[in-house]
This record gives sequence, C-alpha cells and structure tokens, in this order.
Amino acid sequence: MKHDRKKNLTTEFYLLVFLAVVLVFLGVFAKGFYSINNIMSILNVYSYVLISAIGMNMIILTGNIDVSTGALISVVCLVIAAIGKLGATFPVLLITAMVVGMLLSAFNAFFITKLKIPAIVATLATTQIFQGSLTLAVEGSIYDLPATYTWLAFKAKVFGIIPFSFVMCVIITVIALLFMKYSRFSKKIYAVGNSTESARLTGINVNRTVFLTYVIAGALFGVSGVIVGTAGQRVTTTMGSGLEMTFIAAVVLGGTSTAGGSGRILGTVIGALILASISSAITYLGISTNWADFIKGAIILISVLVSALRTVKRKRSIPGKAGVQAS
Amino acid sequence: MKKFKFSFNLVLLLIWAAIFVAIAAMAPTFLKPDYIINTMLRNIVEIGMVALPMTLIIITGGMDLSVGSMMILCAVFGGSAAAAWGTGAGVAVTILVGLACGLINGLIIAKAKISEMVTTLATMYLFMGLSRGYTEAGSVYAYNFASWMGNTEVLGLPIQIWIYAVLAVVFVLLLHHTAFGRKLFAIGLNSSAAKYSGVNVEKIKITLYVLCGLICALASFIYLGRFSSVKYDSGTNFNLKVITVVVLGGTSIVGGSGDMKGTLVATLIIATLNSGLTVLNIPIATQTVVQGTVLLIALVAFAIMNQAKSRRRGAPKSAEPKSVS
Repeated sequence: MKHDRKKNLTTEFYLLVFLAVVLVFLGVFAKGFYSINNIMSILNVYSYVLISAIGMNMIILTGNIDVSTGALISVVCLVIAAIGKLGATFPVLLITAMVVGMLLSAFNAFFITKLKIPAIVATLATTQIFQGSLTLAVEGSIYDLPATYTWLAFKAKVFGIIPFSFVMCVIITVIALLFMKYSRFSKKIYAVGNSTESARLTGINVNRTVFLTYVIAGALFGVSGVIVGTAGQRVTTTMGSGLEMTFIAAVVLGGTSTAGGSGRILGTVIGALILASISSAITYLGISTNWADFIKGAIILISVLVSALRTVKRKRSIPGKAGVQAS
Repeated sequence: MKKFKFSFNLVLLLIWAAIFVAIAAMAPTFLKPDYIINTMLRNIVEIGMVALPMTLIIITGGMDLSVGSMMILCAVFGGSAAAAWGTGAGVAVTILVGLACGLINGLIIAKAKISEMVTTLATMYLFMGLSRGYTEAGSVYAYNFASWMGNTEVLGLPIQIWIYAVLAVVFVLLLHHTAFGRKLFAIGLNSSAAKYSGVNVEKIKITLYVLCGLICALASFIYLGRFSSVKYDSGTNFNLKVITVVVLGGTSIVGGSGDMKGTLVATLIIATLNSGLTVLNIPIATQTVVQGTVLLIALVAFAIMNQAKSRRRGAPKSAEPKSVS
C-alpha cells in the first residue's frame, strides 16, 4: 500500500513538472497566451473537459471504457437546445441534460452489464445509433436560440470575469475527490477494476457497480453537455463529435491504467488541464489547428507508453503477470 | 463443434438470401446484374478486404480501430508522392506507409504490452491527425495506378472484385488450413498457454498488424481510385463497418473462435443491406442507425448463444475476460 501511494505520487509529480515546463514554454514562445481573455476561454474548455473526464475516469477505473461520449454530448446539446428554444432557463436545462445523460449512459451500461458485450464494441455501436438518430431527428441544426439559453456562456460570470462553468467544475471536482477517497462505492469501483472475479467473490454486485458508475458518469457528461451546448446560439448535430478522445486522453494522461483498478482523480485534474490548453496553445504558437488531432494522439500514445514501460519494469519480478494483463 | 459451425454459416446464408429477396421484391431495379456488380459488390470491396486481416486479429483477442485512418493515410501520402514524383513513387510510398503504420501498432501492442484498444484508438487519431495536418484539411487526388485499380474491368467484373476474391481464398486457407491459423486460435483462447506451448505470440501479433497495414494500403488504392479524391476524414467509421462485418460473421469479439467463411457471408449481407437501403431511398442517417443496430443485434445474439453453450457444457460461470477492457 505504501509502495502504491508512492507510485501515484510520482505519476502526478511528473505530470505537474511536465505541465509547468509546458506553461513556461508557452509563456516564452506563445505571445498572448496569457491574456485574460484566453485564460478565461481555456478555463471554460477546461471545465467541460474535466467534468466529463472525471466521469470517464470512474468508468475506466472499473476496467471499462466509453467511446460514445462525444455522440452522447451531441444528443444532450440538441435536447437542451430544443427545450431552450421554448424559453427554458438554466436550472431546467441543467437538470434535463443530466437526466438525458444518465438515460443514454444507462443504455450503454445495459449492453455492457446485462448482455456482457465488451464496453468498447458496445459503445462503438451506440455511437452510431446516437449520432444516426440525431441526424434523423434534426435537419442540420437548431438556431436563433434565446438569451435565456446562452446565459451560461455570456452572462454567468463570477466577479464579472470568471466563467460560472468553472465554478461548477470546481464544485464537482471537490465532491469527486472526496467521494473517491471516502465513499464505500468508490472502493467497489477499484475492486471491480482490479479483478471482477475477486470483487464478485467478496460479495460486491459487479453488474450493479458498473451500471451505477455509468449512470453517474452519464450525469457528469450531461453537465459537460450543457457547457458545450450553450456556448452559442446555434446547436448542430455534431457538437460533441470527437470529444470522447479528449476525455480518454485526459484520464490516461492522468495516470489511470486502462486495464482498470488504478488511478486517481488528481491525475485527471492535471491531465485535463494539459489537454484543454493544447488547441489554444497550438494557435498561439502559430501552428495550424489542423495538427491538433495529431498532437493529441501523440501525447496519449507517449503517455501510455511511458506509464506502460514503468509498469513493465516494476512487474519484471513477477514473471508472466504483465503479459497476462495486457494481452 | 464442426456441425455447429456449418449450420451457423448456413443460417447466415439464409439471412442473406432473405434480405436479398425482400429488397428485390420491393425494388426490381435491384436485380439488374449491372447494379449488383457495379454498386453492391464494388462498394463493399474495401471493407470486405480489410475485414479479412481484422478477422485474424479479432480471433487472437485483439482489435484494430485504426484501419480507416491507416487506409486514408496511405492514400494521402501515396497520392501526394505520385503527384510529386510519379506513379512508381506513389505505389511504393502507399505500401511503405501501410507497413509502417501496421508495424507501429504491432510493436506497441506486442512489445510495450499496451491494450489493443487503447493503442489503436490513439494511433487512429494519430494517423488521422497526420493526414489532416499534412493535407491542411484539403483533398488528395487519384493518380493513374489508383484510378486503374478502382475503375478497370477484367473479364466482365471490376478488377477489385477479382483481387478481393483471391485474397478471400488465401485468407480462408491461411486461417483454416495452416499451422499459423491454429496458433491464432490458441492465442485467442489463452495467450499465456499459447506462449508456454511454444507459440511466439509477440512475433505473430506483430505480423498480424503489419499484414493489416498492408491490406489497408492495398484497399487505399481502390478507395482512392473509386472516389478519385480523399480527405482526411473520409475514413471515419470505416473501422466500425469492418468490425460489424467480422462480428456478424460469427467471430467472437473476445477472441478464440471465428470463421473466415462467416466473414465472407457477412460481407455479402452488409453489401446487400447497404445498397438495398440506397435503392429503397432510405436516407444515410437511417443507414448509420441500421448499421449500429445490426452490430448490436449480432453482439447480443452471440452473447446469448455463448451463454447457452457454456451452460450446456456445464462449465462454471466464469468472469468476462479482462483483455477487452
């Protein structure tokens, strides 16, 4: 246990160092990166990335994954746009979004827990269903949305400057940190992630744990969806496309093992900040945004490689173990 | 076991026949040989082709999500090289890019022991991002060799169908009639056991991913020729279509069991379904939903069938293999 804690500490320590180096580098080479406006816009991106990444982190901790999150957020955006058009205010939008997120995520969880379909394939399939039904339901986009709808993006500023989305993000993060540290349920999540079989033998209802994790994550995806969806007066059917990759990247970068069972929220908090600033950093460094996907992919791959090499080194003393886990 | 497999392929064939007859009854134009050859079969060739090595990969318990990005990257680099240095360079670069991409996937998966899903999910974005960055989100155009691959007729059939047919035979033989094929099943059932019984798991895995890259390169010629231009995002969802075909064909997504002939019949089913929906004037969005639904139904059917099978055998209810997470 003590050894474990030390390992986690170093993962986050390396990340912090990396983040600091990047931030200093940007300060020197990217003119205008530290302007107030840019920082506030990064904070807004950071908010929705981190909120979803926390949900994704919980899912990945159970040893599962969700690649339908982008499409799920697109659905959330369109649903709230539809009721926002009728003049619904922010609390209504937020609650609706969370409910829709939970329902869709429960739909995913149903296939994964009840029908035993591997999470990645199940969510790949539901991505198609979510995205396809969206295009069927809505012709292109919903536009001319009223000011009540875009309240979060334009009016809701704390001290007239800090976006309210960031306040929501801080609240959720604090709750998540406490929840993952002290709650019973979080222990079940780790247990399931470490070994489904031994979790079952110790009396944990594995299916229920995974199902609830997906539902909780779905609510968080819904909150993210509100931030993404209310950013403008026009909502298209592809608002969330590709976001899932950013969330997964934030989680993996934060040191959570994709095999499940190990990783902490704190790492995700740092990982999300790195990913949230990439797009903006690229722009201010004068590189075409067309390279953003490539850089994101490279960062994920390198971070996974680095963490895997460390694990392989540690596991050398237990022959065969590493191979079994990764196969 | 043998009998079960046989009847399963028969069921697939019956499903295909049913779909075919139903669509033909609703839209008589569907039955014209010209439509069947030039639309139904010609449109599925790239997917069918990549489904062949994908079947092998999934049988070993792996997965390659990067196939679409890999194919587009081959087309992008090959097309650009052909525009700059001529056809020969284009062909060489396409093949080299395919091999290199496959090698990257294979090395990371086999040597660094990172799960297939995560590796290929990351390289999927890496390759797509590379295409996007390199072309500045613009298009790459077909050159004479690619056009030839995409639009030539040999003995009354488009050349790509001949290529596919040859590859299909080779892959059926490879999987079901060679020691290499048996080793793939062994790895899929229990990779540690395979390793300790003398199978070089790492080498086989690398070979498979390189093979997959090579087939993607081959498919990229046809794809580029058929559409005469590609953009970085042309390959989106290609991976899903390929996986749908493989899973529909009866290959278990957790590895260890599968049938190449099933993949071939499943390719026919998806081809019929796709072109049939087009003939019936059903919008693309519905087709996406249908595709996703077909995949889910196939997965659910196999999950239920497997549960029934293990219950019959009286095997203890075991936990789901973790390899898929």
